[in-house]
Amino acid sequence: MTVVFLDSSKVERFQNAINNDAEFKLAARFMSEDVLLEVDDSRCIVKVRDGVVTEIKLNPPSSDHWSFSIKATAETWDKLLRPSPPPLYTGLNAGMIRGNLQITGNLEVAFAYFWAMNRMLDIMRQLQND
Amino acid sequence: MVRFERTGGHYIYIEVQNIEYRVYFEENGGGIPLLCQHTAGSDGRQWRHILNDDEITSRYRVVAPDLPYHGKSLPPESIEWWKEEYRLTKSFFIDFLVEFSRALGLEKPVFIGGCMSGCLAPYLALERPDDFRAVIGLETVLCSEEVPLDFWDHPRISNNYKAAVMWSLMAPGTPEKYRRETMWEFAQSEPSVLKGDFNYYFREHDLRGKASQIDTSRVRVYLLTGEYDPVASPEDTRQLAKQIKGAKFVEMKGLGHLSLCEDHQVLKRYLMPILKEIAEA
Repeated sequence: MTVVFLDSSKVERFQNAINNDAEFKLAARFMSEDVLLEVDDSRCIVKVRDGVVTEIKLNPPSSDHWSFSIKATAETWDKLLRPSPPPLYTGLNAGMIRGNLQITGNLEVAFAYFWAMNRMLDIMRQLQND
Repeated sequence: MVRFERTGGHYIYIEVQNIEYRVYFEENGGGIPLLCQHTAGSDGRQWRHILNDDEITSRYRVVAPDLPYHGKSLPPESIEWWKEEYRLTKSFFIDFLVEFSRALGLEKPVFIGGCMSGCLAPYLALERPDDFRAVIGLETVLCSEEVPLDFWDHPRISNNYKAAVMWSLMAPGTPEKYRRETMWEFAQSEPSVLKGDFNYYFREHDLRGKASQIDTSRVRVYLLTGEYDPVASPEDTRQLAKQIKGAKFVEMKGLGHLSLCEDHQVLKRYLMPILKEIAEA
């Protein structure tokens, strides 16, 4: 499985879907942060400026800065992005509680925008299963 | 056409640990008292579907208080509570429920609580067996693992964080209207309250070495946990139930950690046989 945010053929659609989502706009309206998303050793950085995703940078060099990261194995992302996720994989917090998903970096910022990240995960799930 | 609910709200003044509190509660129905306690960081609105369920209120007097500092139960007037951090203790929680029950004349009520209140259920059976006829714990565990609490009350993190956290604690099939309502309620607490409640839930709650002392011939113990609960997994609760001789454990399919308000029709599937059993005992 290639997750939607690492698939070069779908990443533009993902970016547009986030930017057209009314709830994400509301939740991220003060957000200007770079978020690292990791699946095993593959990664991308989602750049958000004033609540708008301005770029999704695939395979960024390790020297790139980011504010916080959301990291899980491919197996975990597969479960998180199923139309009806199984127990312990129902979202970011559920994944964190049982250690299946890690959020690292600036946790203060990550938690300040937890609502926006929740919504981003839901949009990922919708596109992943289209 | 205007619609009214039969559920009504009242205020009562009760003294707990030498301090008077003005406590708000809602109630409906008649019969065996069913004392419904909300989770950490929320209030009695979580019970609104149970309060309005004719099948339950025809046999039970359903009563749902807001703990002091929660919902419409304001902090007390007699102390300068603003000079210290709010912290719920097990001792206060138990004393509050007993005093509240006595004040309302609830004769040996059935207690039901979810999350932190679910964890209190076995303690009520252990420490106040003469005051309750049965306890129903939703999402109850033997003990909680201590977690960092600072982010739960932080000047740069709004209450939207708390609401967002609750999103994935509920089952994926939860009707979105109830999922959002539950989040709304968590977002409305005073910012320090959820963290203060976690003092009991994450620091004081520890039934190790005590659970086996509960005498279910004096107080019936029912433990129910949702299939999707990532905090208190069904297996966690099953392990606790094994330590309480006579306790009944039920895994609730299609529910998560906030089963009291996620989807009351699903909750009822599991709750009704228990309420019937208690009523016919």
